[in-house]
Amino acid sequence: MVDKKEDIDLKLIKYTQEGLPVTKTPYKDIGIAIGISEEEVIQRLKNLLETGKIRRLAASIAHRKIGINANAMCVWKVSDERVDEVGKIMAKFEEVTHCYERPTYSDWEYNVFTMIHGYTDEECEAVIAAIKKQTGLNDCVILYSEKEFKKVGVRI
Amino acid sequence: MILCDTDRKILHRLQSNLPLVSRPFEALSKELGIDEDTIIERIKYMIDNKFVRRLAPIINTQAMGREATLAAIKVPEERIEEVSEIINGYTGVSHNYLRKGKNKDIPYNMWFTMSAKDDEELRSNLKEIEDRTGLVVRSLPTTKKFKIGVKFKIY
Repeated sequence: MVDKKEDIDLKLIKYTQEGLPVTKTPYKDIGIAIGISEEEVIQRLKNLLETGKIRRLAASIAHRKIGINANAMCVWKVSDERVDEVGKIMAKFEEVTHCYERPTYSDWEYNVFTMIHGYTDEECEAVIAAIKKQTGLNDCVILYSEKEFKKVGVRI
Repeated sequence: MILCDTDRKILHRLQSNLPLVSRPFEALSKELGIDEDTIIERIKYMIDNKFVRRLAPIINTQAMGREATLAAIKVPEERIEEVSEIINGYTGVSHNYLRKGKNKDIPYNMWFTMSAKDDEELRSNLKEIEDRTGLVVRSLPTTKKFKIGVKFKIY
């Protein structure tokens, strides 16, 4: 059952997910468009951030366009008991934008995934070398994207 | 088209939360020492010229009750275009890349992320892709998160 509160939150997200109005009073303008007050817009966005339903209210950058051209997915084979320890080390690198543990299969043994963004491949590989040094890990594969078929933000 | 130092300063700050106050860009102007009108004008410029994809709430699919996964497939060279079109046809697919191992061969070449309203829909979409392509889809959902937050070093 969807209650009214969630209904308005959904309306708010749907109205803003393509972009906030870039005006002096964006929250007031959103409120006018969806029929709630500026205070309510601000309060609802605060709640959505606090409950983690939205991660950030921020800019998504076209990273390639500003020169961050390299995007390496580096996958690591890590023993179960070391996953937490090395995951934390990897996450500390500014260039590591995502770090996750994922399942393995008979033909896939790499369980820790890091996404590394940099201005060049060399910059990404320097980060990988530093991770190797700090963790003592050696078994990794660097996957570069050869072609981008789709890249959009998540929409609801 | 290039970005000046002012743009880069604004862009760097905009990757973190916009203040939740009546005049958020005025609040930013105090932080950055750039006046409100300039901030607004430069943000519009960066959006219009596609340096910024969007300034918007970034949704946490799982907290919204959605399920997501990273999936990988081995697609024969001659079927890459056809299979990518099938995959991209799903609105839940947000990223789809052809990837190659640099230092080692890997068993898959096409990698995509997919979200769906629940686990059932996610599984059924992946199954449908297998049926439509005749290829095996490996689903690699996150089991633990150490970091998520695409903030780039801008200099």
